[in-house]
Amino acid sequence: MSQVIEDKVIDEKLEWSRINADVIASMQAPRKAYWITVFVCLTMFLCAIAAEIYQYKMGLGAAGLNNPHMWDMYIATFVFWIGMSHAGTLLSAILHIIHAQWRKPIYRFAEAMTTFSLMTAGFFPMIHLGRVWNLYWVLPYVSDRGIWPNFRSPLVWDAFAISTYLSSSALFLFIGMIPDMAILRDHTTGWRKKLYGILCLGWRGDDRQWRNFRRTYMLLACFLIPLAISVHSIVSSDFAMSIMPGWHVTTFPPYFVAGALYSGCAAIMTLFVCLRYFFRMEEYMTLNIMEKTTKLTFAIAMVWTYLNLIEFSATWYGHNIYDKEVLIAKATGPYAGVFWTMIFCGMVVPFTLCFQKLRRHMPTMFVISILLNLGMYVERWMIVAPTLAQAHSPHQWDVLWGSVIQWAIVFGSFGWFGLLFLVFVKLFPCVSMYEVKELCFHLKHEIHEEELAKKHAATKAAGKAEEGSGGRAPGTPGLEGA
Amino acid sequence: MSVKVNRRKFLKMLGWGGAGTALTGCDLPTTVTLEEGKEEVVSYLMPEEYAIPGIGVWYASTCTQCEAGCGLHGRVREGRVLKVEGNPDSPVNHGKSCMMGQSTVQSHYNPDRITSPMMRKGSTLQSVSWDEAMSALTSKIGPDSGVKGDRVGMITGTVSGHQAVIIDELLAQVGSKNHYVHEVINTSVWSSVCRDMLGDEMPKLNYDKAGVILSFGADFLGTWISPVHNMGEYAKFRKGARGSLIQVEPKMTLTGGNADLWIPAKPGTEGALALGIANFIIERGWNAVDVPSSIAKTLNQYTLTAVEKVTGVPVNKIKRIASMLTERAPSLVIAGASTENHENGYDAVASVMLLNLIMGNIGKTIEASAKFPEKALRAKQGNTKDLLLLAKALKDNKLDVLFTYNTNPAFTAPAVLQVSEGLSSVGFKVAFSMFPDETTLQADLVLPIHSGMEDWGTHVPAYQPDTSSVLSLQQPLMEPIHKETRGFGDIMLSMLKLRNKNFGDFPDYYSYLQTAVANMPADVTGSVEGASKDIWSNVLQKGIVKAKASANALTPKLVDMKFKVKHDNSGYPMHLVPSARLGLWDGRHANIPWLQEFPDQIAKVVWGSWAELHPKKASELGVKNGDYVRVTSASGSIEAQVYIHKGIHPDAVSVPMGQGHDEFGRYAKGRGVNPLKILNPLMERRTGELATHATRVKVTNAHKHEKLVHLGGSETQVGRKFVKTISVDQLRRTEGEA
Amino acid sequence: MSFKNILENFSYYRRDAEDGGHHEYDHRFGMTIDLDICTGCNSCSTACYAENNLAVVGKERFEKGQAMHWMRVERYWDNIEGDYAEEGAKFLPMLCQNCGAATCEPVCPVAATYHTPDGLNAQVYNRCIGSRYCSNNCPFRVRYFNFWSYYEDSWPEPLNMQLNPDLSVRDKGVMEKCTFCIQRIRTAKDKAQREERVMADGDVVTACAQACPTGAIVFGDTMDPDSRVSKLWEKHQVHRGPFLQKKDKTNEEIRGYRIFDELNVDPSILYLERVRDTEV
Repeated sequence: MSQVIEDKVIDEKLEWSRINADVIASMQAPRKAYWITVFVCLTMFLCAIAAEIYQYKMGLGAAGLNNPHMWDMYIATFVFWIGMSHAGTLLSAILHIIHAQWRKPIYRFAEAMTTFSLMTAGFFPMIHLGRVWNLYWVLPYVSDRGIWPNFRSPLVWDAFAISTYLSSSALFLFIGMIPDMAILRDHTTGWRKKLYGILCLGWRGDDRQWRNFRRTYMLLACFLIPLAISVHSIVSSDFAMSIMPGWHVTTFPPYFVAGALYSGCAAIMTLFVCLRYFFRMEEYMTLNIMEKTTKLTFAIAMVWTYLNLIEFSATWYGHNIYDKEVLIAKATGPYAGVFWTMIFCGMVVPFTLCFQKLRRHMPTMFVISILLNLGMYVERWMIVAPTLAQAHSPHQWDVLWGSVIQWAIVFGSFGWFGLLFLVFVKLFPCVSMYEVKELCFHLKHEIHEEELAKKHAATKAAGKAEEGSGGRAPGTPGLEGA
Repeated sequence: MSVKVNRRKFLKMLGWGGAGTALTGCDLPTTVTLEEGKEEVVSYLMPEEYAIPGIGVWYASTCTQCEAGCGLHGRVREGRVLKVEGNPDSPVNHGKSCMMGQSTVQSHYNPDRITSPMMRKGSTLQSVSWDEAMSALTSKIGPDSGVKGDRVGMITGTVSGHQAVIIDELLAQVGSKNHYVHEVINTSVWSSVCRDMLGDEMPKLNYDKAGVILSFGADFLGTWISPVHNMGEYAKFRKGARGSLIQVEPKMTLTGGNADLWIPAKPGTEGALALGIANFIIERGWNAVDVPSSIAKTLNQYTLTAVEKVTGVPVNKIKRIASMLTERAPSLVIAGASTENHENGYDAVASVMLLNLIMGNIGKTIEASAKFPEKALRAKQGNTKDLLLLAKALKDNKLDVLFTYNTNPAFTAPAVLQVSEGLSSVGFKVAFSMFPDETTLQADLVLPIHSGMEDWGTHVPAYQPDTSSVLSLQQPLMEPIHKETRGFGDIMLSMLKLRNKNFGDFPDYYSYLQTAVANMPADVTGSVEGASKDIWSNVLQKGIVKAKASANALTPKLVDMKFKVKHDNSGYPMHLVPSARLGLWDGRHANIPWLQEFPDQIAKVVWGSWAELHPKKASELGVKNGDYVRVTSASGSIEAQVYIHKGIHPDAVSVPMGQGHDEFGRYAKGRGVNPLKILNPLMERRTGELATHATRVKVTNAHKHEKLVHLGGSETQVGRKFVKTISVDQLRRTEGEA
Repeated sequence: MSFKNILENFSYYRRDAEDGGHHEYDHRFGMTIDLDICTGCNSCSTACYAENNLAVVGKERFEKGQAMHWMRVERYWDNIEGDYAEEGAKFLPMLCQNCGAATCEPVCPVAATYHTPDGLNAQVYNRCIGSRYCSNNCPFRVRYFNFWSYYEDSWPEPLNMQLNPDLSVRDKGVMEKCTFCIQRIRTAKDKAQREERVMADGDVVTACAQACPTGAIVFGDTMDPDSRVSKLWEKHQVHRGPFLQKKDKTNEEIRGYRIFDELNVDPSILYLERVRDTEV
């Protein structure tokens, strides 16, 4: 990679045809490494399927759950995946409406990650249910017996929130891909051409379509942001609405949202490094973008750390004996190792992101992002398990590490997520072509304007003429945003 | 659902018309029903008066789970007995029941019941028909068998009522005097002392009248004499003037767990403590009854410091107990297993009884009990002396025929007695049994008997808690589940018929019993209303017969006491306490899944054995909860997981009885260890009882760990106030006396 | 079925869902457990197993903490100091407190647990989907989940003949708990109705109360001023209601208290303090 692009978001000199070619190349002819990864993910997934079949047949005792530990890793993993899904929304929607241009090369896979992690998360409430075949009872379907779900229950809110979020984020992902589908339609043959032909919904790239597209996209982005925040607030109310020590915490909604964004960003970093390496996307996923991502991650990590410390001190000074006991047990009890892992990974490791050298060193970033993810995973575990292990009634205190079945399903969920993602990167462009072009165009334009300004410091009229002659390439947006 | 419910088994018992009392109701029946064995649908328009589908009918019967003889009400629906409750008319349990009583149904419906007669052919037991079984029986003990009376023996658990009569009759006919009555959990030393010192084997104890109860190892809430009755009395004792309970024992029993003060005395030294207290009382002149100088002289050596040295109980505690006994008179001083079952057990219990005598408790808290007028029906109480006698007889090869019923000597006898091996020397062993237990499986002929809920019987509790004595009737609550089982009485009767034509008048035990009860003298059945014809149905309804009591006063008398503490330094520093518990009892209920699943009241361990150790001892051994220790006596060793708590003397290791079955069905087999197996063959010197608590052992770390399966996460309340405790003072301030 | 039906009667259905619980009670069943005379003997627990078709789970599952004792007798040692447990053990029979403001009720997504007009905290097995939130939100931890299909091996034939036909045997995936022997309550109510009278105290008694050898457990209707139970509540100055109550100052040490009263759950079980003679 050249020195030039290191301090730029992207090399604006990238030819549009090259962008097309590079991205399309990433979608074709899987290499050996791809198949190996698919195989690993598939194995993990199949193990989980086998475990789930066994558990379905035998009952939830197979997961090793017991009386105090009615919930365990399934709920923790559910919260983890829901949290992960927030990154896509953050990158696409929030950064979109605040015009952070650097998001453009990486938001696509982040959005895909959102959808897929939601699809993974959605499994967990089902896996976790004692009688999953009656799952639909949590929905207010029309029944002439007049039986409704209990609208006071956070689990019902969950059902609404997750289904809404899943459908909206899938829609958001799909709509954002429409122009790219059209490019792919024009560059592929055979079944792919047919597929993309259908998926691009007759995109021709004309003015009206672009205008409608922009509006829809903006509208969805605006819709998705409060939704994302509410989703994780609702997930947090699964805990916060209870009376259990360590769960009944007022700051849980923002804490969960911060945690969600945190783990999402960490996951983006991981995938960023992987995609950059495997698909040789150095020119698109530049160090500059990585740096911006890590800075964002750092900021969120600090928010999360702050909220965490608030929670601890509120508990400490609140003098609720049960809350305090749970906090002390977290730090000193049987789960102490896990708890301090969380503190280390979640609060200490992010400080490495302060150093530019590290931020620009991909292998380090990979390791750190994995550590952050681990920290965020065990954070969820440390929300669920210690409270149940040491709640109000000391007679029912117990420590649970989960059974093989439970862990198989938890690991399998990563396999499932990986599979979805792997299929995605081969079927759909993991880098948004049209938006990268847009980005290049804007950059070029900016540079050009600067040069013009230097050249013709006195006369500014020429700039307008230049803009007019920019012309309109196929698949390129209009310039209303410029 | 794989559960097949055989709900169409309707009652077919004879003589039941109008006997049941419907105590509950439900929606009126709207259904039609199918009678068993018939294909057609029969409208239930004309149902029997008492059998209505969907409505439970209650029948009175008697609990056979232990010897206390509690009255029961069994709930029967659609021909099945579903649940039992206590019989409110019974003076024994006043409508209450314990966990063993409640689980009678699981004994009755147990999947491991023996369902057909079995005979030993070669080395294995094989199912045979009743005809074959009975002809084998006839050939061995019939009039033509030539069997010698003195070479016939029978070992049973505690028996009473007409069952005892019929056993006596059979043995008399055969010409045998070898009736061994064996129970591991017994009170025979207590009874001997009471007989010698009070003139009444089972005096009536008025717990509710006592201001303070001082119990030397008598687990009267759990396993002592009549637990359900005692618990009811205990409630009165606590509720009224609010008496205090002091328990002295090496290992905390259920009663110890409920004591105001629990004192661990060195095992085997309880007598010294009692004498020390007595001495202190006499020294201070607090005694209500004068003591002969000879006794006072003997007591002189039991000075406070000497007693402290021997028993390990601090002087101030001894003083405190003595003054409590004085201040809160009348008191009640009793002694149980951990005091009785030492080599000096008799003397220890006598020392305890001395306290009652000098404190003037006789006639106040200890009274003469009502005795059932028909002597033959009174309970024959089990003991361990008979077990030793049996072991000796077996060793000397003195028996040709041995009947076993309602007891399991192959399990309860210490290994050194070699009862199991001795049994093989007996030519013909007949087991009347419901379950394939260790003794039954060694038998040559196994006769499957009815469960307590299928059989007829009468029971006269050994401990008569009321002013009038009581006979409790056991009636079947449902048809036998298994076609091939027979009533114990029926089998005995058919054996009797072989030799005595008089019994030919009775087609079955039921008719024998009916005749016998209806024709009991008026002083017995006087309490039952109606003409003699109605007596039977009235008895069936009530479940009990209250007989007039013969009022004897107690005759207090002092006995010689040669209380000695044995010092043993043979390399076995610890004392083994084979503790009994309400639940598995001596092991006879280990095949009841409920009782396996219910935790021990103190240790809260389930489904297995454990060894209780004091934290001090445990840290010496370097073991923690769940580690295995090896408990070795001169006669053998066992391994069990440790449960550590402060309710045990540091010199004692307690392993509960009940587990360690080699046979006995799926729930009991191969679970835990049996502490009785490693007992040394020591005898109580005066009574000849097996000194079950006298065995010395050493405990070593077995360096093995498993999770101790027990109920409860935290052993303490962690500062919470779930079980709030206030002092008696506070109680009196707020609620007033009584 | 009908969508029409729902539309036409929407306000009716909506109201039902909104109310959530009953605020006008016919009865409010409650209990008093006198810890002073409770001996911790386990009879109540056994009676409960017999009455309510509770599964025996076996050693392995007991070890995992999956036992199903609706009524469990907790035993605490609180003798931190001293060499011996001189004041004995502390026993606490713990069962579902049938709280008036039960924390399990609002969190159930399908309203499988709800409040009946009898003041009971009912559990509808057929409606339960097994989310287990109710148990998680129960400070007493007295809700038990069918982690396995216990019926498959808990009652090998002919043990199954003992099963009480008045209530169901629960399959895997369902939460269950003490119901205050609702089948007995129903039977007694029906009987009273047939006899055209009001239910009287003593008409219904739970299995545990009936078995308890010391009579430590008293069961009855706390709304019936003449019942034994309400007299005890009255005597010990504890009243129904979710908020912590202040007692008459002169009688601070009256023995009655409710566990976790500070959580405002309004438990229906009044415990009476254990009394021990400290002079001894």
